[in-house]
Amino acid sequence: MRKFLAVVKHEYRKVVFKWSFLIGTLLMPVILLVVSVIPLIIFSIKGGPTRIAVADPTGAVLPRLEQNLSTARLLERARQASGDQLKNISADQQERMHQSAAQFMQDFVIVPVATAGQSETDLRADMFRMIEKDEVDGYLLIPSNADDPEVKFEFRSRKGSDFISNDTLIDALNASVRSVRLANANIDEAQVANLSSKVNLDSKGIDESGAEKDTSGTFAASFAIGLMIYLTLVIYGQAIMGAVVEEKETRIAEILFSSARPFELMMGKLVGVGLAGLTQFSIWLGSALILISAAALQTDLGPLMETLPTITPFMVLMFVGYFLIGFFLYASLFALIGSMVTTVQEGGQFAFPPVLIMLSAFYFCFAVIRDPGSNVSFWVSIAPFLAPITMPVRILAEMPPLWQIALSFVVNIAAIIALVWFAARVYRVGMLMYGKRATIAEMLKWVRQS
Amino acid sequence: MPQPSADVTIRVSNITKRFGDFTAVRDLSFDVHAGRVFGFLGPNGAGKTTTIRMIVGITAPDEGTITLNGEKISHKLQNRIGYLPEERGLYKKMRVVDQLRYFAALKGVDRSDADKRIDDWLGRMELSEWKRKKTTDLSKGMQQKVQFIATVLHDPAVLILDEPFSGLDPINVEFLIGVIDEYRTADKTIIFSTHLMSTAEKLCKDIILINKAEKVLGGSLREIKESYGKNLVAVRGTNLNGVLNDRSLVARTIHNADELEVELAQGIGSGALLRKLVDSKAEVTKFEEIEPSLNDIFIDKVKGADA
Repeated sequence: MRKFLAVVKHEYRKVVFKWSFLIGTLLMPVILLVVSVIPLIIFSIKGGPTRIAVADPTGAVLPRLEQNLSTARLLERARQASGDQLKNISADQQERMHQSAAQFMQDFVIVPVATAGQSETDLRADMFRMIEKDEVDGYLLIPSNADDPEVKFEFRSRKGSDFISNDTLIDALNASVRSVRLANANIDEAQVANLSSKVNLDSKGIDESGAEKDTSGTFAASFAIGLMIYLTLVIYGQAIMGAVVEEKETRIAEILFSSARPFELMMGKLVGVGLAGLTQFSIWLGSALILISAAALQTDLGPLMETLPTITPFMVLMFVGYFLIGFFLYASLFALIGSMVTTVQEGGQFAFPPVLIMLSAFYFCFAVIRDPGSNVSFWVSIAPFLAPITMPVRILAEMPPLWQIALSFVVNIAAIIALVWFAARVYRVGMLMYGKRATIAEMLKWVRQS
Repeated sequence: MPQPSADVTIRVSNITKRFGDFTAVRDLSFDVHAGRVFGFLGPNGAGKTTTIRMIVGITAPDEGTITLNGEKISHKLQNRIGYLPEERGLYKKMRVVDQLRYFAALKGVDRSDADKRIDDWLGRMELSEWKRKKTTDLSKGMQQKVQFIATVLHDPAVLILDEPFSGLDPINVEFLIGVIDEYRTADKTIIFSTHLMSTAEKLCKDIILINKAEKVLGGSLREIKESYGKNLVAVRGTNLNGVLNDRSLVARTIHNADELEVELAQGIGSGALLRKLVDSKAEVTKFEEIEPSLNDIFIDKVKGADA
């Protein structure tokens, strides 16, 4: 037991006390955060308000455009766009949203240009001069026959590539011109708006007890947990293989085998590296939970955050449990491969099948997220090798009956026991075979002989 | 069957090891005595490493037994054996002190004891300033020394060295021979495996020679050499040819640099030849019986088996 612990400690330190581990562990959440937040920050940086000279010979479009570009109207549109989720929010939250939305809104300063008696050419020349004198940033020339669907509106701007401003302006202009056209056709605008309002679909998932829950955030969260487990399994499975091949390649195995039982050595390695993986996985999981709760409290994304599934301590326990199950399944497989091959490069080729299984498990996650109750979801969350990745996703998407979780645990733990038994027998012979890679037939012979 | 004796530490009795159809070791028996260096000799592929792995407890013999002080070899006894494998290796990216601590821990040495012994041994091997360096920063010779320290850190009663000098420069060979000699005390047993007969001759009291999985000869080096006969004589002088060309006295002569190596004919003693030479008025400046070298015995035995 003392020797086993010595191996565990050795393997743990070998992985954790390295810069790459520190960087990988601490930087990963930071990188994710940065990648998701930086674009928001960049796009929220804007210059002064965009000043636009508007020449409107019709006299009908301009007032409507001014109205549509007002902050109040822009906010209303944003709220419509964000859909039903944000409908039932409290007044307080609404106020906070209002403020933050106002920050994101582009400020437009409309400078009306007198059009009486001026030709289009004159107007254009006038407005161009205004731009040259830096009185405005751009101009919009509304054609006199704005009614005509074929007619072109002319917009020239020094900030031509500011697509956020352009989008906002185009939307507002569209709405204004449509309103003019409706008015010209004697159609009541309010009535059209009513008639063309979108279907109000109340979409919520319900759980076993019939309680309603919002599902929009579930996809992201389920995907995240699947990805997290998949990544750690791939990284640490390969780490095990590398460590095994190193000991075989450098012949350290011979010294180790003259000091302790092969089984102690193999299990010590699995447990040591497993604990290192668990350390990293816990840090990631923990920081994800903290980030989510911080985001829910701090920002105006609060209402969106409420659609994320609630993560109970039981779920966290399950995630850790399935991570460990997955680790021991794949790690013993990788240890077996490592003891059969002669170089890391050769190991890379033979690592392909287990990596493929992991990848397919990861792809099955999408099927599980789409329909957690389906037959496919049932089988892939029970099957050994697949369950460690798919079951946590299923638990997050929709808590399956407990007996299925129990069954999945039993099946996978049985698989671990069988695989460790098998791998230990291959390991003790394979680690001392030099020169050439062992064949499958040889491997089976070693297992039978011991 | 070797007879029981009080100072025997390792007794190998009739061990056989097969790998499929291939027999690596067949019905091998020998005793290793405490306080003496035991040479385990044989050409490459004779079964040396397989036998050593069985003594160290890495693999078990298919037949026969191996005992250490009367106790059958098991994982429990591994802490009392130090093994320096022929193919040596260290963790490449690990500091010297960390590797030594790990190997010591695997042999059941406490951390504080280990640290004391590591400092002591690194000092003796003149490696103290390399303590916190990684293996990759060390020269090959230094790595071999570190490897040796790893083998003796737990102060084993039995030290098994498989080709310990391969790849070492002559200075380090001498240095290591000195360390091994120092380590050899009354209660330590050293098994030393090699295919280099000259080093074995220098170091070993007892030997066993194996070839093609089987024992060829074994016993004390002195007795083996004596029993191997003394029919070679080195002669230097003038007017020797008359007697030396007499085929009833001399089987053949070999010209070495400045002397002749003379193989006596069947039934002729060296004394008889000397008398004849003196009688023939030859001027003899050197006349010396040549002891067969271990190398000669080795080549003779191994070639004889091949014939």
